[in-house]
Amino acid sequence: MWELKEYRIAGSVGEAVAMMRRGPGKGVYIAGGTDLFLFPPACDYVVDVNHAGMSSIARTPDGDLFIGAAATLHDIATSPLVTGFAGGLVSAAAAHCGNRPVRTTATIGGNLCNALPSADLAPALLALDAVCYIADEDSQESLPLEDFFTGPRRTVLDGRLLVGIALSAAAGERRAQARRLTRSAEDIALVQVAVALEIEGDRVGAARIALGSVAPVPMRAMLAEALVEGELIANLDPDRLADAAAIAAAECDPIDDHRASAEYRREMVGVLTRRLLASALAAATDMSPDSGNEGGAA
Amino acid sequence: MTDFVNNRAGGPQVGRNVAKIDAFKLARGEPVYTDDVHPAGMLWAKVLGSPHAHARILDVDAARALALPGVVDVAWHRQVKPILHTRAGQSHPEPSPYDTVIMPDKARHIGDRVAVVVAESLAIAEQALGLIDVKYEVLPALTDMDEALARTDVLVHEVADPRGIAEGGRSNVAARIDKQVGDVSAALKTCDHVVERTYWLPRVQASHIEPHVAIAWLDEDGRLVVRTSTQVPFHLRRILARILELKEADVRVIKPRVGGGFGDKQEMVMEDLVALMALRTKRPVRLEFTRVEELTSARCRHPQRIVMTTGVMNDGTIIANRMNVTADTGAYGSHALTVQGNTGQKVLPMYPCANIHFQVTCLYTNNPISGAFRGYGAPQGCFALESHIDEVAKVLGMDRLELRRKNHIRLGDTDPLSAKLGEGREGLSRVIRSTGLETAIELGCEAIGWTKKRPPSAPHLKRGLGMALAMQGSGIAGVDWGAATVKLNEDGSVNLLVGATDIGQGSDTVLAQMCAQELGISYEKVRVLSSDTDLTPFDVGAYASSTTYVSGGAVVKATQQMRDQLAAVFAEKWACAAGEVVFGDDNVSCGPGKAMTMAELASHALYAAKMQPAATASHMSNESPPPFAAQFADVEVDSGTGEVFLRRFVSAVDCGTPIHPDLVEGQIEGAVSQAIGYALFEEVIVDGAGKVKNPNFLDYKIASALDMPEMVTILVPTVEPSGPYGVKAAGEVPIDGPAPAIVNAICDAVGVRLCRIPATPERVWRQIKEAGE
Amino acid sequence: MKIAVKLNGRNREWEAAPGATLLSVLRDGPQEPRMTSVKRGCETGDCGACTVLLDGQPVNSCVVAAARAHGHAVTTIEGLLGDPLMTMLQAALVEHAAVQCGYCSPGMLVSLYHLLRECRAAGTTPDDHAIREALTGNLCRCTGYVKPVAAAAAVAAALAAMRSTEAGAR
Repeated sequence: MWELKEYRIAGSVGEAVAMMRRGPGKGVYIAGGTDLFLFPPACDYVVDVNHAGMSSIARTPDGDLFIGAAATLHDIATSPLVTGFAGGLVSAAAAHCGNRPVRTTATIGGNLCNALPSADLAPALLALDAVCYIADEDSQESLPLEDFFTGPRRTVLDGRLLVGIALSAAAGERRAQARRLTRSAEDIALVQVAVALEIEGDRVGAARIALGSVAPVPMRAMLAEALVEGELIANLDPDRLADAAAIAAAECDPIDDHRASAEYRREMVGVLTRRLLASALAAATDMSPDSGNEGGAA
Repeated sequence: MTDFVNNRAGGPQVGRNVAKIDAFKLARGEPVYTDDVHPAGMLWAKVLGSPHAHARILDVDAARALALPGVVDVAWHRQVKPILHTRAGQSHPEPSPYDTVIMPDKARHIGDRVAVVVAESLAIAEQALGLIDVKYEVLPALTDMDEALARTDVLVHEVADPRGIAEGGRSNVAARIDKQVGDVSAALKTCDHVVERTYWLPRVQASHIEPHVAIAWLDEDGRLVVRTSTQVPFHLRRILARILELKEADVRVIKPRVGGGFGDKQEMVMEDLVALMALRTKRPVRLEFTRVEELTSARCRHPQRIVMTTGVMNDGTIIANRMNVTADTGAYGSHALTVQGNTGQKVLPMYPCANIHFQVTCLYTNNPISGAFRGYGAPQGCFALESHIDEVAKVLGMDRLELRRKNHIRLGDTDPLSAKLGEGREGLSRVIRSTGLETAIELGCEAIGWTKKRPPSAPHLKRGLGMALAMQGSGIAGVDWGAATVKLNEDGSVNLLVGATDIGQGSDTVLAQMCAQELGISYEKVRVLSSDTDLTPFDVGAYASSTTYVSGGAVVKATQQMRDQLAAVFAEKWACAAGEVVFGDDNVSCGPGKAMTMAELASHALYAAKMQPAATASHMSNESPPPFAAQFADVEVDSGTGEVFLRRFVSAVDCGTPIHPDLVEGQIEGAVSQAIGYALFEEVIVDGAGKVKNPNFLDYKIASALDMPEMVTILVPTVEPSGPYGVKAAGEVPIDGPAPAIVNAICDAVGVRLCRIPATPERVWRQIKEAGE
Repeated sequence: MKIAVKLNGRNREWEAAPGATLLSVLRDGPQEPRMTSVKRGCETGDCGACTVLLDGQPVNSCVVAAARAHGHAVTTIEGLLGDPLMTMLQAALVEHAAVQCGYCSPGMLVSLYHLLRECRAAGTTPDDHAIREALTGNLCRCTGYVKPVAAAAAVAAALAAMRSTEAGAR
């Protein structure tokens, strides 16, 4: 059993941070708790943020999408605001996370703050340039998601509270595709790749290739992105995509573990990146879809 | 021998899909499992497991734990008399080595028992574990089978089994088999082709959703009562009495509803611990395994390496077959001999030939304990043989279906290997008196579309079909037996008391149908009690595909005996011949005007004839007729990622005459789901230090609803002369074929042979990559 | 700590450790009566034997803090006995021989109940995939899911038929 001295329930963001800072001893924020109960961290108290007003999902008048950190994965998976954003990249990532009962309570904030290399929402959010909003007792800060993770199970937070995630309206227009590779239908991902391309006429604008489960933290393959970004679509032939995929594979930093070898993970980054780029471009140019975001559950 | 096939009486109670008699209460969530009812004053037990794979337990200091408020008792090896036994849960005399004591002085795997604590709450018991100080002498851990075989300086078991089975003190060999029919070496020299391949089988776990759980207490007479989630209440009574030095009369084992067993609950995994602590504390004691404990300290399917050598002529005639098995029994020798025996005995007879050689070396290691798991060695052997048949066909350039059709066992064939093997001693020879294998192959081929493979569903996928044949047994010939008691009540209802153990498969329902059939009443009038060693007659328990075939025989016999009593009572009242009394439709009659309802007859028997209609009968079969299965897989493989998408799976199964077709289908569908995991993703991964890397369902994946393909299940009824109503077994045979069928389909799709399962995406990808290089 | 919940429609106050899971409080006591339909199977949110409804949504009570239920409604199968939809589902499971050992059945029934209630409210009929998706959190080692899915599909079809009958009546 998780030996906790206290379970504190916060009614607002301000109260949550104050409760965390109050001590004594070590505290941890809790929302869904579905990850925390697996391997309970040694701490004295938890601060429950489910009632802190952080559960909303909203579009601003400018079209930006804001997802509160305590929004549940089920809400994210089914909200029309999210399913209609960037081809439903984020909602699909949420829908693949855990199983239906887990998604009832598990939150996007929990998924990110646990900072597992395999965090299911991270690649999709990285591919859409997500910005994190972080609150302290008397200050607020925002930073790009790629600066949020500092190592396996480590983030920049240090007692501060992740309040929510924002995605720009422009990101919502990207052609996005993602794929996660698993051993069985519901499993920790062996490899995750998310690709999002901004299409500006006959040219690719911003290009994002985000990877999960293949480095100490979820990451972007920026060198590979550079090969695609700003390029004429006509120039992005299969060889060029294969080059980008190979660079992405070289950029990642996977480990061997009992689920898969580093070699396999690296190779799969290449295979999936190539397919996803091709299929995102095909979707953008209305060409016949190539094999990308396919397969489905066996 | 009782003529089982031609003894039908009255309206059909067997052969139809009645409501499973316990289904409503289970669907209502009623408190019917072991842990659902807690006796007053119950204590909670936890086991301190060894952190070392191999270490002497020099000293245990429980003072700090005992000082924790709420801790009642701690026991470890110095306090418990070491009486050697096996926890395998088999019939006496047990074929597994006596290599176990309740609390060992040497830990032989990570998680092995070091101490057991009981406390007023689970939280206190858990906390107390951290307060027990143990001094270990860490020993080198043997986690590799070949190293275990090679080394005699490090021994997992240093003391020989008093019955001389294990080579304790001399080597790490727990069991050896070397049996031959004909002369394989000589025959191989005469063959056109000799095909040899090596296959590797993983460690997998039964993963019944209800963990092992047991509660023990002393009743008002001071007798030990153990309520437990078990498949073998009577074996438990015998073993507990011996190792706790109690009279068997003072031990009572109660089996309530069981949340799945699959062989893993044939083992005495914890009943001795709750019994021990209940005796020490004189209070009820409850212990339940966590999932982590299930995956580290319950039992696994034996990992094996199998070398298959087959000699074959150009026309496809198989001349000789050799199967050489190296197996890992882990820290203890539970079922070490008999599981491995089954690997050959239940598998090699599929292709009879004059020369068969079967060799086993089963090793102790410091890995988790292997033991009984549905299929009991046959899934391993079937994977090797049925993969190998495809390989032989490839070498011959012959169609793999034709090769099977040419060689498979047929009606009237004898099985000489069974006579040589048996259950750890000379067995009984087996003649096939019923088989639907040809029909099963035909229907299965049709259902899967064997001759018209469908195109892949996407350009990057490749499609393949695969098949496998399997056979098993129906109980252990000449060993497994069971008894049943029937008793008529005055309202015409029947109490059926069986030692046979319903663990979810529905045997209570099937046995009630058989009883009702013999008495010509509705099955709903039969109230089944299973099992309570104080109240129900003996049965070996639910294993080896025995319940319907063996225990069913006892039910039929007992009911027939009671029916004869009733016929006599009826005949006396109505002055007719007992032989002419007819039972059926809840009535008893003997010609025009001479009729009573069963209730009237029962009332008459009790109050006028003043006799209790009741009978107990026992049944054993000297045969173990094999059920047969032909199974087919339709897969798509992504050759870029190595992912396998199982699209369709067909099982055509001859299990004799089904008593309850839906329950038989359920057995097949469940077995296939377990075997799909075996084929594609299940593996308990143990590192070189003996540590399980994936001891939870986060990482040890069993099939979910989304992992299942479109399933087609075809029953191919036959009439087995030695089985009641023509039945054979159904529980195990369908778990054998799926893994080779799926792997053969992968090979058909992408041209590479996976000799090692599970066929994870990485393994498939690697095989494709290596083939390309 | 004190936890005020509405359990199966009744206001209850639990005394529980701050780190206790909802499963342990529901199942292990000392609160009486124990909700024994809520089974312990994995304690990692994978097997679903402990599935209950929290404010009407399915959760794995083994990975939800008991304190999370403070001020909320918890429903177990004990609280759904007699509910017409639950009764239909139970009957369908029995009729389709979808209950073998039965240990996963209460959790499975809670998930299916939730799915079909949502579909009924939305006026939709779940297909085979939607049923499987809803059952992904309920591991069953006995049935291979064939008969449970068939049972759920039968109830879904019956609900659709009832809906069209009602529509016809209007």
